[in-house]
Amino acid sequence: MSVSVVCTGLAKTFGGSVEAVSPIDLTFAAGQTTALVGPSGCGKSTLLRMVAGLEEPTAGEITIDGHPPADTLREAALSVAFQDPSLLPWRSVRQNIELACALARRPKNATDIDQLIHLVGLEGFADTRPAELSGGMRQRAAIARALVTRPRLLLLDEPFGAVDELTRKQLASDLPGIWEARGTTTLLVTHSVTEAVMLADRIVVLSPRPADIVADIPVDLPRPRRQTLSREPQFARIVERVFAALSQGMARNLPKAAQ
Amino acid sequence: MIIARPLRADAPARNGPLRGLSRLLPGPLLALLLWEVLGRALADAFVLAPPSAILVYLYENLGLMSRALAVTLANAAAGFVIGNLAAIALAVLASVWPRSDGVVRGLALLVFCLPLVATGPILRVVFGPGPWPQIVLAALAVYYTTLIPLLVGLRAVPAGWLDLVQSYGRGRLAALLHVRALAALPYLVAGLQIAAPAAFLGAMIGEFTGAERGMGVLTLRAMRSMNVDMTWALATVATFVAVLSYLAIGWLARRFLHHEPPVILAAPTGAGKGGRGQGALRGLLLTGAAALLLWWGALALLDLNPFFAKGPWEVFSALVLAPDAAATRSALAEALGQTAIFLVPGYLAGLAAGALLAMLIVLVPRIAGVAMPLAIALRSVPIITTAPLVVLILGRGALGTVVLVAIMVFFPTFVACLHGLRQAPGRIIDVLDSYAAGPVQQLIRVRIPAMLPAFFAAARMNVPASVLAVTVVEWLATGNGIGSLMALSASLSDYDMLWSSVVLVSILSALGYAGVGVLERRVFRVYAPEQLQ
Repeated sequence: MSVSVVCTGLAKTFGGSVEAVSPIDLTFAAGQTTALVGPSGCGKSTLLRMVAGLEEPTAGEITIDGHPPADTLREAALSVAFQDPSLLPWRSVRQNIELACALARRPKNATDIDQLIHLVGLEGFADTRPAELSGGMRQRAAIARALVTRPRLLLLDEPFGAVDELTRKQLASDLPGIWEARGTTTLLVTHSVTEAVMLADRIVVLSPRPADIVADIPVDLPRPRRQTLSREPQFARIVERVFAALSQGMARNLPKAAQ
Repeated sequence: MIIARPLRADAPARNGPLRGLSRLLPGPLLALLLWEVLGRALADAFVLAPPSAILVYLYENLGLMSRALAVTLANAAAGFVIGNLAAIALAVLASVWPRSDGVVRGLALLVFCLPLVATGPILRVVFGPGPWPQIVLAALAVYYTTLIPLLVGLRAVPAGWLDLVQSYGRGRLAALLHVRALAALPYLVAGLQIAAPAAFLGAMIGEFTGAERGMGVLTLRAMRSMNVDMTWALATVATFVAVLSYLAIGWLARRFLHHEPPVILAAPTGAGKGGRGQGALRGLLLTGAAALLLWWGALALLDLNPFFAKGPWEVFSALVLAPDAAATRSALAEALGQTAIFLVPGYLAGLAAGALLAMLIVLVPRIAGVAMPLAIALRSVPIITTAPLVVLILGRGALGTVVLVAIMVFFPTFVACLHGLRQAPGRIIDVLDSYAAGPVQQLIRVRIPAMLPAFFAAARMNVPASVLAVTVVEWLATGNGIGSLMALSASLSDYDMLWSSVVLVSILSALGYAGVGVLERRVFRVYAPEQLQ
């Protein structure tokens, strides 16, 4: 049930002048986790929003399993965990997760929801409203909400931004298990390099705005990846490569930025 | 549209109306005492009834008053329900079909600008002596105060929530059901709070036009017989009903809503997105066309006697084609001129007084905490129902009219400005504090710019409100100007004149509203560009 996403000549310009994404060709293989890494404001979120069908590309096209994103949307086969958790303040954590089921027109399964709440470490907070949660807890609730509809395509836009370091590591080692088991194609936007290496099968490094591909780095580390993996030399080597690519990207677009 | 609620600091949530009341008490008690003393001192002047006399009157006429109150309350409640349902339906339409937003707003404003003084008699002819004119007028007085905050509330939704809905492939209807409806609830409540006293006012004006029973009928009777105690007793009851309904809805909201109703709403100017050039013109034309269509449609549907039910064509011909068109025009122009003499100074004085007093009070923070809840409570008083009092005190001359218009404008402006002044971003105030800038500097550099959006929203909403005030006073008391012309044409069955004046007054009010909007946009371009997005 995996889907592959193909972007061809994809570009986005805002207001006719601000070029966010320069023409990009990218394929996200079915069942893989791809991390998009780049400096803040480089247009990686825009790329993700275009794949999610929330933003119209200025040029080029996206196909998900050969169909336009609108078809995937109509089947409610994708989920987005947004940078901003976007929880409805009048609904509890559980009710917010159930909202996704309602929107996706899926029956809600209480056991599933309980498991997800456990997975993101929110047991005991199921009936709490977002206002009483910390920023990190809200983001975890949003991740659970994104997973509850069993999406075939999962789009994560810096979903751990406000999550504390310890929980973040826990999530980074737990979440991929679910994606693998379900064969989910996952797109992760992040600016944490170690997180990208921990989670992804492949890292696409983007340049500063307008986003362009600087490097496409495979992460051939065995799964499941334990937290101790980050101390291994092969992990460090990949991190090193990503950092090198990031600096290369910064240098590449410097003259443009200086203009 | 301005909707204000006590700031959290003034009235901590969830401890019921009692706490608020206890804070209000010392001021009103003093005022009561002063009132009693003045009333007794001026007993021979026939203008002021002391509170004791009002109580005695109410006690002695308990049956009469409570019967009248029950009638008016029932009509007001029916109008409240109908008007709010209409507002909700319109807001839902504009939310699900955003293209209709401009026309919905434009039409709603135009209908809100209909002079109740003239629509009252027309409705009386249409519906006869029953309660329906009162109910319709109450509904007309209510729907706009609910519609505008509701439109704002339905839009005041973080983009992320809408993205969420869209990311599951769902459209506007799902967004409305799952997200917007509940997000708009506090705004709806804020609107309903203003609407409740407005419904009562609408019902009373409806009763002025020749109902058989109700508070409005008694008010007319009291005025004609120069019964000071009765006039004051009626105004007191109306005030109580207004303040109580305002407080009750606020209390219900705090009880059942999980978040506080919004403190203030400065709805974007009527022109909205297509604010400039072609867009505005197209919106205007569309609204005009829709208004004409509705007018014709309603007349055709209701199958009314053409003797009093005039269509757009008849009005046009009365104003332009008929042999006496020139006379009609000059009569209207003369009346409008007389009205403007009272309306414009009263309107400006009310605005100025509201803004200035708010500024003064902010300089003395200790007063502000007490003044705000008091002003909010007083703002819900249907000023028009106290028109007879102003006439009693200031006479039937120019002064009374100007003062009444000014009072009508004063309270909403004052509340809005006070709130705006206190909205000033705390961090910026901190910066000024760190340079030891005094309260005057703070006022000029930070607070006044922060006040402008609220001030202009109040100025816009007060255009129709002041037209209502001036026409009611002209009708009930002074006997000149457009209000009196409308009343006179109604009683003389000069329906050409009546409909022409309704059309003219509505268009002029709507233009005045739009004119303030234009001024507002100019000022915002300098001081508050974020409001224009």
